[in-house]
Parts: sequence; structure tokens; C-alpha cells
Amino acid sequence: MEHSVAAVARPLARPRRGGWGLGVTVALLYVFLLAPIVIVILSAFNAGDYLRFPPQGFSLRWFVRFTQSPSFVRAFEFSLHLAVYVTLASTVLGTMAALFTIRHARRIRDALRLLLVAPLQFPAILTGIALLIFFYATGISTRGMRPLFIGHTLVTTPYVFLTVSTVLVNFDRSLEEAARSLGAGPITTFRRITLPIIKGGVISGALFAFITSFDQFPISLLLISVGNTTLPIALFDYLRFSYEPTASAVSTVSVALSVLIVIVIQRLVGLESIYWGGPR
Amino acid sequence: MASITLRDLSKRFDSLIAVNRLSLEIQEGELITLLGPSGCGKTTTLRMIGGFETPNDGEIYFGERPVTWLQPELRNIGIVFQNYALFPHMTVYENIAFGLEMRKEPPAKTRERVSAILHKVQLAGLERRYPHQLSGGQQQRVALARALVVNPAVLLLDEPLANLDAKLREEMRFYIRGLQREFGITTIYVTHDQSEAMVLADRIALMKDGRLQQLGSAEDIYRRPSNAWVAEFIGLSNFIRGTAAGRDGGSLTVRTPAGIFACAGDSPAGDVIICVRPESLHFGGTHANRIPVVVRERVFLGNLLDYQVDGPGGLRLRVQADPSRIFAPGTPVDLSFSPADAWVVRGSDG
Amino acid sequence: MAGVDATVVATPSGTGARRFPWIAFLIFPTVIFLAVFFLIPYANMVYMSFLVKPETGAYIKQFTLGNYARALRDPFYWKVLKDTFWYALLTTGITLVLGYPLAYHIARVPKRWRGWLLVLLISPLLVSIIVRSFGWMILLGKVGIINTLVRRYGGPELHLMYNAVGVVIGLVHVYLPFMALSIAGALQTISPDIERAARSLGASPWHAFWRITWRLSLPGVFAGTLLVFVLAISSYVIPILLGANNVLVMPMVIVQMLLDAFNWPLGSALSMILFGFTVALLWFYVKLMNRALRWSIR
Repeated sequence: MEHSVAAVARPLARPRRGGWGLGVTVALLYVFLLAPIVIVILSAFNAGDYLRFPPQGFSLRWFVRFTQSPSFVRAFEFSLHLAVYVTLASTVLGTMAALFTIRHARRIRDALRLLLVAPLQFPAILTGIALLIFFYATGISTRGMRPLFIGHTLVTTPYVFLTVSTVLVNFDRSLEEAARSLGAGPITTFRRITLPIIKGGVISGALFAFITSFDQFPISLLLISVGNTTLPIALFDYLRFSYEPTASAVSTVSVALSVLIVIVIQRLVGLESIYWGGPR
Repeated sequence: MASITLRDLSKRFDSLIAVNRLSLEIQEGELITLLGPSGCGKTTTLRMIGGFETPNDGEIYFGERPVTWLQPELRNIGIVFQNYALFPHMTVYENIAFGLEMRKEPPAKTRERVSAILHKVQLAGLERRYPHQLSGGQQQRVALARALVVNPAVLLLDEPLANLDAKLREEMRFYIRGLQREFGITTIYVTHDQSEAMVLADRIALMKDGRLQQLGSAEDIYRRPSNAWVAEFIGLSNFIRGTAAGRDGGSLTVRTPAGIFACAGDSPAGDVIICVRPESLHFGGTHANRIPVVVRERVFLGNLLDYQVDGPGGLRLRVQADPSRIFAPGTPVDLSFSPADAWVVRGSDG
Repeated sequence: MAGVDATVVATPSGTGARRFPWIAFLIFPTVIFLAVFFLIPYANMVYMSFLVKPETGAYIKQFTLGNYARALRDPFYWKVLKDTFWYALLTTGITLVLGYPLAYHIARVPKRWRGWLLVLLISPLLVSIIVRSFGWMILLGKVGIINTLVRRYGGPELHLMYNAVGVVIGLVHVYLPFMALSIAGALQTISPDIERAARSLGASPWHAFWRITWRLSLPGVFAGTLLVFVLAISSYVIPILLGANNVLVMPMVIVQMLLDAFNWPLGSALSMILFGFTVALLWFYVKLMNRALRWSIR
């Protein structure tokens, strides 16, 4: 039985005050959480030159400016490409790791879990620093996409690992046994039964990985080289010196991408199941 | 259809011995239940027969064919799990057709066979539904259909009715029994519910701590338990401890603190326990064995009265009798029971 | 059920198959990747912190404790560390106070709404930190929205940006969802029936909450505060964008040291010091919390 807080706080005859307070507070908090993002999006459509309030009319000129800015466009494409490669790599690595850790490792399971989630527990900036020093020391080229690819994959794989693990933990092994009893070998069983059922976890992990890579900042900051920028870095540089709504347009496109992805995940798998385990 | 032979089957998990040198012969077409308390090894045994666990020792044969190490998909079995294990991402049709698909049946034939079996389990018309759209009972029947449609040599059922409510469970028992008889498949049914075992089985294999305690028909086990533990597990039983004192005519004489009784059974000498069922103790009556008791408590169970009585030597007995005569607590009365109902088992082990 | 997986392979041996764990190949790539690009670089950074910084170049392979000596003796670094600590602590405290109601609400709301509320809660996380900081710049700046509104109604100019206030607002904004999610996870496992039982026994709503729900949710609070503190203390983007040169936290100093001064040994040493400091604090915190949890529930 689900009861709102209002119901709990209201035995027979007392007024609803308790429940109300919580609702209002929470609403304000959500406003707080979303305000900056909404503001950025709104300012992207602002016809005026400055980031003024109230808005001075609707316009798409900043988006046009965005498409006309070679540095932003290049950065956008670079981020996109990078994100795609990173997503592929981390999805494969993360899924394999989850399959092994949840199903086959027994004594080393906890140690593995710790290792696989570790990149998330360490501050990204430190990881970036460590990688930079490491690349320099080992002579691994710091040009082009490679160092960024490695750095991003490092911090995105744990997400895939986590989402796939969650789905696997709740996976009913008797489904596979039933398939085996009906004549399916191990590989067929994996392909026809296991994979379709866990694909929600795999896909949402992949989508998290994509967004994380696309929006990633601290590691990119340390590992970019001359001639290559990611979109967040380009924005960062821009924002330190100017204050134009073009930045808003760029940001809005970024946000639209993220929102789309989150909605897809919610429809596919349900965010509760990822965070709190169990089916939706 | 095949017979199943288990020979000295053993399985250990770390230091726990789950199945201990189990040997069993199951006839072709028979329905045998593996009955016992949790942890007795019945499910592990079933899983070994299915190929989902590898034994540490011993052998399994389907007919003449050794299958001990064979992968599950090559054993031609059908299995129904407690939670049905229906593939959630497939329709009822696809679920049932899966086994046929694995056997490379042509689609036309598959359609025929799936329709036929759906009719048989009274679920025709539900082909396109998904498992989550079905009731528990319907899911159960789909699971059965899926297992049976491939004509397995062996059918394995792991507490399939445990998740259904009591009424449905009873109905399904008879239903499964009927289906099994009709298809004639050698079947192993795991349960911890003794009334279920007694309704369904041709024979019951009673297990405890990984060992077979007794194998026999329901009546065998009920009337002639092989030891005190079996007597206690199946139905209710009273236990009277005593010493065997030779045979007299056809019956075994047993000396107890409550008296000397003539009993049935082929127990050797020494410490023994007499097992008498509550319904076999009669108030008054003319049977050979008599015990004077005092009624302590009485409970009305509808079709029966359940009495707790105190006998000589601190003996506490339970009696079940029809409500035609009612005895109040505190009443002294004589109980009698016949030697045939006084089954003797060894007194030392359980 | 047993721990053996379902991929039983036929083998003719006597006492249980000893199959080669081909399956281990599943994990090798990931583990090797992490070992090479995560464990080794960090180990290397520790190593780097003991090297010498030459006149030109980033480092030379000579052992010294000088970096640590220099860092630990300089009051400047202590001040920065202390400031960083306070920012983190303040952020953690505020997110706890704000996050708990959020978490409570989401845990108690009917299932239908929960998914979408979660989307609302999580979506800021999936927007680039740059974008979010940018939003705050627009809101908090001198000619930003808040100031424009306040001045229109005759209020004074509020300095909410390029200072500690802006930084804390930014940090709280970024880490609030983490706190809320941690607590909500714990609250989810507490059945509302427990609160009702307490009420039936005579407890007032506040009392029932404080003695029962709060106590039971402590593991989530614990996890949330831990997480937010660690994240806040190592935050770089928010302080640098919303604090500019008026706010100096350790991560900023470290990055400056590495990229501007090109002094990798000192930068590494400072990283180690920040890391060590954080770990030490967490260790005490964990001990404290374990003790608190022991009386509350176990």
C-alpha cells in the first residue's frame, strides 16, 4: 500500500499541515535543482545580446552562431566520436566484467567489485593527473583521441558494470536451466534467454557511459592535446572569457541529448531498478 | 520413456554432504515423489538427475544410457520449477515452442503440437499472451505444457505447486496426476508436503540428511514405517518405548512401562519403539492390547475429536476418535488397540 | 541453490569435473585495462611525489622527501587544505538537510510518480557540469537574474558569484542528487508500517520519525555524507568557474602546479596529501558511524 506522507501525518481528524509542508519544500528543491539548466536553455532562445531577464524575444540566432563557429562544431563532433568509441569499449568491458563477477567469481567477487567501481570513487581530477603523468612517463602518445579514449573508458566502464550487475543479480537462473532442459546449449541459452533479459541493463549502462563521456570534464582537461577539444572544454574556455548566449545554445544542445537519453532509459528499464535493484 | 537408476549418488557442497550414497530404481512410467524436510537433499538429487549439478560420486542411468556427466540439453528431460521459469520476453506460444525449436521441428508441425498441448491444458486461445499477463495457475499449466510438448524421457517437477494457494494446489495435484498417467512419462516429483506426496505418488522416496529413509507406496510407509523418524514425519504417531521380548505366535511381545503388548513388525531384539496412530487407539473396544488412561484435553476438529491422554509410567498419548462418544477431561478410560496397528521399529536411531 | 553455474560440461572423470575456467577470459580484458591504466598510474603518481623537480622539465628520477617537506611546512598549503575542508563540510551539511526531505518524499510517493521524479532528480547529473555552472553564472552574476530582480524591487546588490557563496551554492547543487539518492535508497527499505506501528504505540509524528525512521535510515545518511564529502573536497570545476581567483581549493592548486608551474613532483605530493587527508578523515568518520549504527539497529 503506498501512502503519501500526508496520509501518514494525518490520523482521523487532524489537518493536513504535515504533508503540505513536505510537498512545498520538495517542490522548491526541485526548482533549485533544475533552475540553472532551465535558465541556460531559456537564454539560448533569447533574442537579446546579453543574458538579461526578462528575455527580449525569441530567437534561434545563437544556435545559428553555434553552427557557424568552427571551433564549437569541431569540438561537438570530436566529443560525439569519442563518446561513441568510449561507449562501445566500456559496454563490452563492463558487461563481460559484470557477467564474470556476478555469475562465476566466488571468492574474489568482493575484490573484483571494489576494483571495477574504484575509478568512480577516486576524484576524476586526480585520475586525470595520474594518467597524464603516466602517459608522459611511459611515452604513450598524448596526441589525438587515444589518451582521452583511455581516460573516459576508465570512468565509464564502472557505470556499465553497475547497471549490468544489478540486472544480473536479480536474474533468475532457473530461466536458463529451463532453456537447457529444453535442449538449448550454453551459447544458445545466453543468446536467446540471458541476453534479451539483461539487455535493459546493458543498454542503460551504455547510455550512461555515452553521456558521461560526452559531458566529462576534469579528465578531458588534463588529457587534451593541441588541436583537439571536447565540447565541455571548448565551453569552459569560452566561458572564462566571454559571456555570450552562444554558449547557451551549445549547452542546450548538450542538455537535449542528455534528456533524450534519460527518457529512453526510463522507458526501457526504469530508473528505480537501476538504483535500487529489482524489477520496475 | 525410460526408467531411471541412481546408483550410490553423492553430492557434497564444501563440508556439507547434501546427498549421501543414494540408490534408487524408478520404473518406466512411474511417478515417484522425493519427500522430506528442507535440506534433506531431494532438490539436489533432482538437479543431478536433470544435469544441473554434477555428482561427486555415483551414477545416473536413463534406461541403459549413462547420463551422469551429460549436459542437460542432451538428456531429453522436461522440468517444471517452483517459480515456473517461463521466459518473460516470450509469448505463451513461443515459450512452449522453444523446446521444439531446439529440436528443429518444422514450423507447421510445431504449430500443431503447441495447439494440441494448449488444448490439453485448457489454455487454448492464450498463445499470444505474455507470462506476466497470466494467473499463477495458468502459468503453472504453461510450464507443464512446455515441458511435456517435447515428449521427454523423464519429467522433473520441483515443488511446482508451492506458490499456489491451497485450493488451487489441491486441484492441480489431481490434474498433474491425470496428465502424467495419460502421457505415461517417468516422473520425479519433489515436495516437502506429505499429503501431496501421498495423493500423487506411485511410490514415495522419503529422504533425510541426504539418505533414503524408506521407499514404498503411501500405504507401506504409513502402516509400516521403517523407523521412528519416518513414523513421525508421515501423519501423526504415538511412540511407546520398550524392549522386545520374543515372539508369540504371529506377534512380537514388547515390554513397556505401560504394559506388555503384542505388536507387529520384524524388528530384532533389544530397545524398540511401538508406533501407534492416534486413530488406531480406541476407547473401550475388544482389542488385545489395553492401556488405562486419563483424559487430559479434548479438541473438536469437526469430523474428529482429538484427545490428549495420560497413561501409566508417564506416558502421553494422542487419540483421535469419531464424535459419537465424548469424554470429558479428567475421565479415566481404557484404550485398546490391535497388534496389527502396533508397529514396532528399532529404538536406537531415528 | 548451489554455487555451481549452469554450464555443466560432460567429462568422464570420477570425482566431479575439473574444467578449465575458460570463463575467466571474460574478466581478463577489463582487469588488465584497469590495472594498466588505473592502478599503475596511481602508483606512479605516488612514486612521482618522491622525485625532484629540475630547472627545466617536469621531473628527474632522483629520490627526495623535499616535496612533502615543502608542502607540509608551507602555511599557504595548510590554509588551502583547511578551506577545501570547510567547503566540503559545509556542502555535505547543507546537502544533508536539503536532501533528506527530497529522499523522504521520493521514497514515500506512489509508485507511479517515483520513476518520473527520479528522472527529475537524476537529470541534472547527466548535464555537463560546465552547463550547470554556466546556469549559476547567469543566475548569480552581478547583472544576473537574481540581482536584476532584487534591484528592481529596490534591494541591494548581492554578491553571489566569484566568491565562497557562489561556490557553495554550486557545490550543493551538483551533489544534492547524490545525497538524496543515497538516503532514498535506505528509506525505500523501511516499510511505512513501521512508522504506523510507532504511531499506534503513542508516538507523535516527529517522535516517530526521529526515533525510528531517522535511525533506520542512518546507513543511507552515512553513505550519502561520505560520498558527497569525497566528491566535494576534490571538486575542481565549480570552484574555478564560480569562485574564479577569489576561492582557492586544493584541486585548483594541484592543477596549477601541474599545468602552469609544470612541477609534477610537487603536484603529485599535494595530490597525495589531499588524498591522505581525506582518507584519514573518512576513516574516523567510518569508525564513528559504525559505532552509531551499532546501537541504533544491530
